[in-house]
Amino acid sequence: MSSPVLHAEGLSKRYGRRLALSDCTLTIPPGRVVGLVGPNGAGKTTLLQIAVGLLPPTSGTIEVLGGRPASGPGQLAAVGFVAQDTPTYPNLSIADHLSFGAHTNPGWDQALADDRLAKLGLDPSQRAGRLSGGQRAQLALTLAIAKRPDLLVLDEPVASLDPLARREFLQTLMAFVAEHGASVILSSHLISDLERVCDYLVVLVDSRVRLAGDVEDLLGTHYRLTGPRRDPRDTPPNVEVVEDSHTDRQSTQIVRSSIPINDPLLSVDQVSLEDLVLAYLSQAAGAPRPALEMTS
Amino acid sequence: MTWFAWRQFRTPARVTAAGLAAVAALLAWTGRILADQWASSGAATCHLQCGTAYDNFIQQVTSSVNDHTYQYLLFLVYVVPPLIGIFWGAPLIARELEAGTHRLTWTQSVTRTRWIATKLAVVGGTTAAAVGLLSWGATTWSQHIDTLKYSRVTPLIYGARGIVPVGYALFAFTLGVTTGMLIRRTVPAMATTLAIYIGAVLAMPLAVRSHLAPLAHATPPLDISTIQGFEIQGAGVMSVVGGASPANGWVLSNATITPAGNVFVGPVNPTYCSPTVGPQTCLHWIGTLGLRQDITYQPTSHFWTMQWAETGIFVVAAALLASFCFWFTRSRLT
Repeated sequence: MSSPVLHAEGLSKRYGRRLALSDCTLTIPPGRVVGLVGPNGAGKTTLLQIAVGLLPPTSGTIEVLGGRPASGPGQLAAVGFVAQDTPTYPNLSIADHLSFGAHTNPGWDQALADDRLAKLGLDPSQRAGRLSGGQRAQLALTLAIAKRPDLLVLDEPVASLDPLARREFLQTLMAFVAEHGASVILSSHLISDLERVCDYLVVLVDSRVRLAGDVEDLLGTHYRLTGPRRDPRDTPPNVEVVEDSHTDRQSTQIVRSSIPINDPLLSVDQVSLEDLVLAYLSQAAGAPRPALEMTS
Repeated sequence: MTWFAWRQFRTPARVTAAGLAAVAALLAWTGRILADQWASSGAATCHLQCGTAYDNFIQQVTSSVNDHTYQYLLFLVYVVPPLIGIFWGAPLIARELEAGTHRLTWTQSVTRTRWIATKLAVVGGTTAAAVGLLSWGATTWSQHIDTLKYSRVTPLIYGARGIVPVGYALFAFTLGVTTGMLIRRTVPAMATTLAIYIGAVLAMPLAVRSHLAPLAHATPPLDISTIQGFEIQGAGVMSVVGGASPANGWVLSNATITPAGNVFVGPVNPTYCSPTVGPQTCLHWIGTLGLRQDITYQPTSHFWTMQWAETGIFVVAAALLASFCFWFTRSRLT
C-alpha cells in the first residue's frame, strides 16, 4: 500500500478555551473518496483547514501526501481546496478567476478549465458576484480541479446548493476523480449527500474521530439485531453495541462485529450507511467513548 | 501572483493614473500663468533689489487663479497619504478576510509569504510613486510662493513639500494593512488607521520635528516698526512681542530680552505708557530701552536635513509595520 494521503497523530486545535479538534489520530489511505461526516460544530472545518494548511494545529502532527500542509509551493500545488461557502472575488470575472489559477499554479490545466466552463454553459466575462450559489460552487470547484491536485479537499461543498446543483456538483467531482485518479476528502453534516460518492468514511463528533473506515468494511461488519426484549448487557460475545433501543417487548440493536452473527433468537439485518452513521452520532450524544478505527 | 495583485489593484491604479493626469494638466495650465506672473512682475530678471518685484509677483498671484491653486494643491498633498492608508491599506487584507477569499488564494500554489510580499510591493510601490510625483509637482509649482509669501519650513507648508509626503503615505499604507489584518474588518480598520495616522503626523510639528536639526538662535535688536504688539498688565508689568522672523525660518520661541539678557517684563514708565498718552509714545519709549529679541528657530537652510530625517522616521515605521505583516501572515493569520 502506498503512503497515506493524510496521517494525523494526536491532532488538536483549541480556540481560546474551546476545543475544536481533540486528539485526532487518523490515517486515510490513498485513492479514496473520503466522506467526513459529523454534526455542525464537530470540527470538520477545523480538520480540513489544518489539512490544507489554512490553520496551524495547537498540538499533534499531520502529514498530507507525506508533507507538512502548506509547507511550500510544491505542497500547495498537490492539494486542491474548495472552502465552505465557496468564496470567490465578486468583482472579478470568471475568466479573471481562471487567469488567477493559471498564474498561481504550475500544473494548471487550462483545457480542463475551459472544457468545464463550456459544459456548465458559463459566460467567462460574467462577474463572480453575479453567479448563483451553484454556479459559484462550480467555479470554485473548477479552480480547484484545474490545478490538477493529487488530493482534493472540499468543505461542505454542497451544503448551500439546491438538489439539482448538488447532483451536478457531485457529478463533476466524480468525473474528475474517475479521469484523473485523485484522492478526495469532502465533508458534510448529512451522510445522504455523500453516500453515493464516497467509499471511505470518517465520522467526527464533538471534536473527536468516532469512526473511520472503508465503507464496504463498515457495512459488512455492522448489523441490526432485532429480537425479544433482553438485557442490554446480554449480547453475543465479540460484539460491540453501537446503539440499542427497547420497547416493552422488543429490543433493537445496531452492533459491530467482525464475525457473522448466528443467533436463532435474533433477526440479523444489514444496516444502511445512514443508519450506521446515525447510530454513532446518537451514541456520541451519550457518554464519550474511545475512537474506533478500522483499518482495511 | 504579481499578475493577480495588479488585477485586483487595476481599478485603483487607473483612478490614480487619471487623478495624477488631471493634476498634471492643472499644474501645466496654471504653471504657465504662474511663469507669466513671475516674468511680468520683474521677479525673473531682477538682481539684488527685488523687493518691489516680489511684492508685485505675490500681488498678481493673490488676485489670480493661482491663489486657489496653491491652496488646493497644499490640501491635496496633505489628504492623499491618509486616503491611501484608508482606501488602499485597510482593505488590502481585511476585505479578503471578510469575504473569506484568503482561503481561495492561500490554497493556490503560492505561499502566504509571496502573497503578502507581492501585495505590499505592488500597492506600496504605487503609493510611493504616485505620492512622490504629486509632491514633486506641488513642491516645484509652489516654490516661489513658498519662499516669498510663506516659508517651506513652517509646519503648515512643510508637510506637503519635498519627500515627507512619501514617508507619510508609506506609513499610512502599511498602517492600514496592519490594522486591517488585526481587526479583520474593513470599516473599523479604516477608522483606526485614520486616527493613528492623524496622531502620528500631528506629533511631528508638535513634538518631534524641531529636534530633527540643530536649532538656530538669534538676538537681533528689537525693531519697533515690525513689533507684533505689547501688553501692559497691572502693577507696572508689561510684555512685548517682537515681529522679526529671521530669514523665513520656523520660529519656535520668541522672547524680548533686556540688554542684561533677562526677559523684559517692565517696569512700565507711566509718563510714556498710560491711557492718556497714545500708544505711539509708549512704542517709542520701548525703542529707547535697548531691547533685543531672543529667537530660536529652524532656518529654511535646514529644510532638507529635516525632510530626510522625518521621511526616514516614517519609512522605518512603515518597514517595521511591513515586517510585522510578514510575521503575522506567516504565523498568526487564519
